[in-house]
Amino acid sequence: MTMRRVENGIVTGFTVIAALCWIFPLYWALVTSLRSEENVTANPGLLLDEFNFSSYMSAVFDTKLMIWYFNSIGTAVIVTAVVVLISMMCAYALSQIQFPGRRLLYFVVLGSFMIPAQALVVTQFILMSDLGLINTWAGIILPQLIVPVTIIVYKQFFDAVPKEMREAAVLDGGGEYTILFRVYLPLNWGITTALAIVTFIGVWNAFFWPFLVITSEDMMTIPVGITQVNDAFGVAYARIMSVAMLAAMPVVLAYLIFQRRVTEAVMISSGIKG
Amino acid sequence: MGVRLHNVSKEFGAFEVIRDVSMDIPPGSFAVFVGPSGCGKSTLLRMIAGLEETTSGTIEIAGRDVTQVEPAERGVAMVFQSYALYPHLNVFDNMAFSLSLARTPKARTREIVHEAARILKLEEQLDKKPSQLSGGQRQRVAIGRAIVRKPEVFLFDEPLSNLDAELRVQMRLELTRLHRQIGATMIYVTHDQVEAMTLADKIFVLKDGIVQQAGAPLELYDNPDNRFVAGFIGSPSMNFLPAEVVSVEGGSVAARTLGEVAHTWRVALTQSRLSPGERISIGIRPEHLKLSDDGMPVRVEVAEELGDVSYLYSRIADGTEIIVERHGSRDRLDGKNVGVTADPANVLAFDEKGQRLR
Ligand SMILES: Nc1ncnc2c1ncn2[C@@H]1O[C@H](COP(=O)(O)OP(=O)(O)OP(=O)(O)O)[C@@H](O)[C@H]1O
Ligand SMILES: [Mg+2]
Repeated sequence: MTMRRVENGIVTGFTVIAALCWIFPLYWALVTSLRSEENVTANPGLLLDEFNFSSYMSAVFDTKLMIWYFNSIGTAVIVTAVVVLISMMCAYALSQIQFPGRRLLYFVVLGSFMIPAQALVVTQFILMSDLGLINTWAGIILPQLIVPVTIIVYKQFFDAVPKEMREAAVLDGGGEYTILFRVYLPLNWGITTALAIVTFIGVWNAFFWPFLVITSEDMMTIPVGITQVNDAFGVAYARIMSVAMLAAMPVVLAYLIFQRRVTEAVMISSGIKG
Repeated sequence: MGVRLHNVSKEFGAFEVIRDVSMDIPPGSFAVFVGPSGCGKSTLLRMIAGLEETTSGTIEIAGRDVTQVEPAERGVAMVFQSYALYPHLNVFDNMAFSLSLARTPKARTREIVHEAARILKLEEQLDKKPSQLSGGQRQRVAIGRAIVRKPEVFLFDEPLSNLDAELRVQMRLELTRLHRQIGATMIYVTHDQVEAMTLADKIFVLKDGIVQQAGAPLELYDNPDNRFVAGFIGSPSMNFLPAEVVSVEGGSVAARTLGEVAHTWRVALTQSRLSPGERISIGIRPEHLKLSDDGMPVRVEVAEELGDVSYLYSRIADGTEIIVERHGSRDRLDGKNVGVTADPANVLAFDEKGQRLR
């Protein structure tokens, strides 16, 4: 009994320490963003001694933050919509339609899932460059459309739908699109929203690829843009932190609103990643 | 008209599930496929529906060869064992699904669905989701979904097996009533011979993908073609005893049971040519056995007395089980030794391959 209590206490203690380590940089960033630039430089510290939104103002008005926002939202929404749609259709075909080469195709999907994105960067960059897509939305979007894990998750969910659902719809005269969009999609709304959110967050936070393919400040997404705040204006800690806070906001909001679904999706896809 | 199968076969890889089945189901009739698990009933039904491809042979529905026709174009509707209701749609939308795919006008859809709901007493449930319904109601929605399509042929795959015993009896009656009301051809799959006997105009008994016998329920009961059908139809099932022919006199054959209790039974056979010494197996329904002092001696192990009917679960000396059905008896026979006998006309004989001898 007491043994159990001691154990619980130790576990709780470690969890609290880990949580503090994790939250500390966030706290510092938030505090810094809310103090004035001069104050931050003069008295670097951890205390919130003033509420000053000047660095937010400066982030919004003196940098291209709004343009980056626009680029981020545009590309993230397009990538999310396209990824969810094509993954769903691909997974439906792999799961429900009998056609020659089906297994082979599935192994190709599984195989591509095993190649890390970094390994493809050079070829993808050359391809985008040959296509003249450097510094365009298309250049940001296209390579990010390949998300095999979404297909695999969808396929598992579609496989789990009782086959009578499909057969009943076939007898009722439904074609494959009807069955997918009127039966399988509504039966899997939960996983669809979850996958959409996870994809959206992933694209929103993507740094490496957009950083390579975009050099013009007007085409940058927020994570890439943040690096410019530093370069263009010298080190301005408060402003960098304000931009970072603003950059994180949509993701935080999405997470807070859909918390349960996100956790679900992360668990499922990491369960598959193993 | 109706449904006609010509030499239909089905193979899954090298495994032949349906073997050269031919059958004729008259329009408006209620046909039942019955047989033990794995005999291919569902496969045959799904082939008629078009959900399973036909390896060889042809399927005709209402005089049209539909072997290569898409399921939706065959004029069939199917009710699944699991109901296959769409959980995200309410009862109305579940029933209206096929109509909406066929782009039926809204007003007409409402009319058709309400008519079906009235027949099935589902009018109160139209706004509910399937998860809010009882098992019997879900079953009715599944039937409703078939009715609205006004099909040539209704196909049912063990639709009552998820219901409890009482509800099953009730739904059985409702199905018979529905069949009379709609008048469409219905094909029903079950492994429950009571369901088959009560629902069918015509029963097809299947085993190992072969139709063993087809006919009206009582015809199969009174006049089975082989030992399998004789044992499958009727509950409790027929008693079988291995025997050896001892004498043949015109229409009457005497056969002695093998083993230590060598009792001689008289069997009425007019067509078969048997000679003494041949091995046969004799079959007697429990209801045809009568107690008699000079009958075959058996020991009653358990007597189930239900008031109107009682079943004597007995054994002969070598351990073979014999069930005797009696009516209105009040003498308690548990543990007693009795003799059983039967009218020669009620004693059936089967050859060693299980074919009926007449
Ligand atoms: N898709 C398939 N692939 C391979 N074999 C199959 C397939 N479907 C059915 N079978 C086999 O065909 C045989 C008949 O199956 P079927 O489902 O028709 O049996 P059933 O008579 O309906 O049995 P039950 O009463 O258990 O439902 C079984 O031996 C089964 O294993
Ligand atoms: Mg079956």
